[in-house]
Amino acid sequence: MQQMIDFIIRKKDVLVYFVLLFFSIAILLNSNYFHKSKIILIANNISNFTTERFMLFNEFFDLKNINKKLIAENLNLKNELEKIKSKPFFDTISSANFSYQNAKIISNNLSSFKNNLVIDKGIKDGLSREMGVINKDGVVGIITNISSNYSYVMSILNIDSKINAKVKRTNHFGTLQWNGLNTNYVQLIDISETANIKVGDSIVTGGMSLIFPEGIDIGIISKIDQFKINSIDKNFTNKKNNKLIEIESAENYFDIEIKLHADMSNLKNVYVIESLNIKEFKEVQKND
Amino acid sequence: MISVYFLILKRFVLLTLLQGLLFNSFDLFGSYDPYIALVFILTFPTKINRVTFLIISFCFGFCLDLFTNSLGINAAACITAAFFRPYILNFVFGFFYDPHGVKILKNYVSESTLYQQTLYVLSIVFIHHFTMFFLEAFSFDFTLLILYKTFVNSILSLIFCITLISIMINNEK
Repeated sequence: MQQMIDFIIRKKDVLVYFVLLFFSIAILLNSNYFHKSKIILIANNISNFTTERFMLFNEFFDLKNINKKLIAENLNLKNELEKIKSKPFFDTISSANFSYQNAKIISNNLSSFKNNLVIDKGIKDGLSREMGVINKDGVVGIITNISSNYSYVMSILNIDSKINAKVKRTNHFGTLQWNGLNTNYVQLIDISETANIKVGDSIVTGGMSLIFPEGIDIGIISKIDQFKINSIDKNFTNKKNNKLIEIESAENYFDIEIKLHADMSNLKNVYVIESLNIKEFKEVQKND
Repeated sequence: MISVYFLILKRFVLLTLLQGLLFNSFDLFGSYDPYIALVFILTFPTKINRVTFLIISFCFGFCLDLFTNSLGINAAACITAAFFRPYILNFVFGFFYDPHGVKILKNYVSESTLYQQTLYVLSIVFIHHFTMFFLEAFSFDFTLLILYKTFVNSILSLIFCITLISIMINNEK
């Protein structure tokens, strides 16, 4: 017994280290569930409160730029409105599947593999989980976790995020992912083999999941990885320049790199999309 | 002794706020943040015993976590760095290192070579970053990515930490 106590006293710093390590990993695991635990919400509410106050200074010096962007956006919206007004009649049945709400980014993180944003609206403003978040340039992310005043948005730059997207010109569907390396580029996978894709094609949201409406800009194709494609039809590659790729291979997976329209490092104002038909949509899916 | 704890408290608050509010939003080269908060562990007085050191580093890491929405990651990384610090001090500075803490930070900087200082800072920073990125990814699938990010971020943090320490030396009496 005496020896045991001696041993513990001699090795007490190692013991304390492992106890603390165990403790911190326990906290980490607790907060790592898809539905994050309540601890992180309480802790972050405090830090969000301070960060929000601090952001006021940053925002003040950026007001000029924000104003410019808002004016440009206003102009754009006015033009859209004119287009609608000039139509002979207004279809009341098929319109208004989605409603928009504006929100402000409180904290933005780009340095990890699992990047999250925090916005300043929560349950009190009528938001809920699995709503899409966009800004004027394109898709930003999806709300994954929510408290009464703040929402946590899983950024598009998160290795867990999977967003349904399609090629605008050919209407082929795929899944949007991030490989964790460059914050300006994301990857599109699972594009059908028969798709006829070029560098420079626009990628837009697919509208399959009702989180995002169809046709919101994401980015343009900047690179198609040719190593993944084994058997290209030779006739096509000889005739056309190497930018155009006819996919005739049996390989059903290849890398497409997409340059994002939205500058993820400089987000200020975003819009939250609420789907008005999602309940109905889910019920239909359940019946399948 | 009380003045030492006061010094620690001062560094604790200043470095947490500096890291949390300013340096976390640096995003150099797209996605790298320099971790100047590690200066707290690097310059912690050797006078204080290891158990207290570990507990204070845990609190420090926990406070850093509050700013990055990642509870536990920084805390684990900070206590790992703190745990290995005496061994690294012993390895780098050799007989020059005294565990009883008669020498202060100024002596260490003025009486050792730049090579020794760089090796010391780099090893602590590397241990911290590796633990942090590993826990963040939490799987072995991204080992290469973790190592790559650790290397690049370590070099960035090294530059910032050495700069900050030299500023601190000039201001300390």
